[in-house]
Amino acid sequence: MISLSHYLILAAALFALGVLGVFLRRNAIVIFMCIELMLNAVNLTFIAVSRYLQDLGGQVFVFFVMTVAAAEVAVGLAIIVVVFRSRGTIRVDEIHTMKG
Amino acid sequence: MNAQMPVLIVVVPLLSAFAIAAAGWFNRRLCMPTAAAALGVATLCTLGLLLRVIQDGEVVYRLGGWAAPWGIVYRVDFLNAPVLVLVAAIALVNLVATSRIVVEEFPGKEGAFYALYVLFVTGLLGMVVTGDAFNLYVLLEIASITGYALIAMGRGRAVLASLNYVFMGTIGACFYLLGIGYLYIMTGSLNMTDIASFLPPLYSSKAVITAFIIIMVGVWLKMALFPLHGWLPNAYTYAPSSVSSLVAPLMTKVMVYVMIRIILTVFTPAFTFRALGLNQAVVWLAVAAIFMGSLMALAQRNLKRMLTYILIAEVGYMVGGAWLGNRAGLTGAVLHILNDGLMTFCLFLAAGNILYRVRGLNMEDLRGLFRKMPFTMGGFVIGALSIIGVPPTCGFFSKWYLILGGIQAGHYGFVVALLFSSLVNLILFFRIIEVGYFEPHSEHRHEGQDHAPSMEEAPVGMVVSLLIVASGLILAGLYAGDIVQRVVNLAIPESIV
Repeated sequence: MISLSHYLILAAALFALGVLGVFLRRNAIVIFMCIELMLNAVNLTFIAVSRYLQDLGGQVFVFFVMTVAAAEVAVGLAIIVVVFRSRGTIRVDEIHTMKG
Repeated sequence: MNAQMPVLIVVVPLLSAFAIAAAGWFNRRLCMPTAAAALGVATLCTLGLLLRVIQDGEVVYRLGGWAAPWGIVYRVDFLNAPVLVLVAAIALVNLVATSRIVVEEFPGKEGAFYALYVLFVTGLLGMVVTGDAFNLYVLLEIASITGYALIAMGRGRAVLASLNYVFMGTIGACFYLLGIGYLYIMTGSLNMTDIASFLPPLYSSKAVITAFIIIMVGVWLKMALFPLHGWLPNAYTYAPSSVSSLVAPLMTKVMVYVMIRIILTVFTPAFTFRALGLNQAVVWLAVAAIFMGSLMALAQRNLKRMLTYILIAEVGYMVGGAWLGNRAGLTGAVLHILNDGLMTFCLFLAAGNILYRVRGLNMEDLRGLFRKMPFTMGGFVIGALSIIGVPPTCGFFSKWYLILGGIQAGHYGFVVALLFSSLVNLILFFRIIEVGYFEPHSEHRHEGQDHAPSMEEAPVGMVVSLLIVASGLILAGLYAGDIVQRVVNLAIPESIV
């Protein structure tokens, strides 16, 4: 039987994978996808809990989170496109100027 | 009308953003006045709310009449009413002050710029006014996403700085959301007062403690508390000056407000300051932030970049003050939200004026500026004195409370950090004043002429706005006693002594 804690463990694993990806991967788009993975792990938490509590509220919140994430992706990808046009690469270690 | 004020401060700017975006296609000259009118209405409403809170106490507004667990509740009390006034007023003054730069810097893009500008302010005002933890996340993202876009409108490395900010900011928001999710698991509610009423029996639960820590990490990332500050210096340095003078004073302050709101309203001071046992660690983190920010500021040769590192040190002031856990420290932290908002606004406005005329903010560009731009530099000096903490400017009073809180809590590391940072600020600003006052202007230096260059002030609107803000710094200092007694004191629960 799949219980709430299974869903929560899955969500926590997805979240940890996302965090790892942000630290380990060097491609800006992959980093961005890892961040989205973190957001989706949170979404999964909300949905699982909302089913467990028999409260539709949690699912409504997920719709809001998805909308917000879509807006975020739009802005983030637009910025990545501009970076690619000006630098010719989206690998963050090749964009040396990221830090200095 | 009066009863609708809490919602008007969010809805009017929100709807005006669409009108501004549309005006951008038809008649671009309408963009700025529309934005000014919307923010003007918002500012008046926040002032009205502040007066109402001082007279009658807390104002509660239910959106659409829906009660707490289902509907969104806006709650205005002594803690957020002054922050609302600060945000709306700074946004309005900055809009008027920088309208000239915007037309020259983004020709043809006024519609997009002002729509983003107003949406950003909507997000901030909403975050401050809302009493719903999830609503706060949505508004935080509205402010952040528009902030990324505004910063990316700058030249040169602005896009890269913005990309870095997107990554860090999104992760911060994600952490906040996950923490809120855990609180929702434990309490089944997202309304702040509702959560607060369910939490006390659960304070020993590991999930609640995890939720609290995750929320704090997210909020610290967004306010750039050391060591999570990596995104801030570049983002605020390369942002266009009309944007940095809006985002830099407000974003970090609003996040500090959110932190204090979560500590005091969602959780209880007894949990945060006593049961959790993290006080000392967080205050030491703040001490590290203050030292690091001050030392890095010393190493900078660019005025705006130096200001961003001072900002990181100031975040340390407020976080440290809040986590001291006594009345003086919290008073200092809340007062410093207001004062630091004004001070950094004043300095970034002055930097914008200088950049407008001199086209550079490195040390050598500042030579002879007191002759060239006496009024701008006058405003700059008042801002600098306030950051250093010279009475009667307002910076002195909040720093006084913070130091007092540090002594009462017996946390002398924090006291030393505050004094050290004041000394560093003194060196930083007097170095600039020396260069600006005693060294001849760069254009004349090479030709061997030493006579005074002609005065070349920034446009009148920019100078007047700067001087209004600078006089505001002195007024806020003179009335600091009143502000503390009639507002800040009542914002802090009585259980904190």
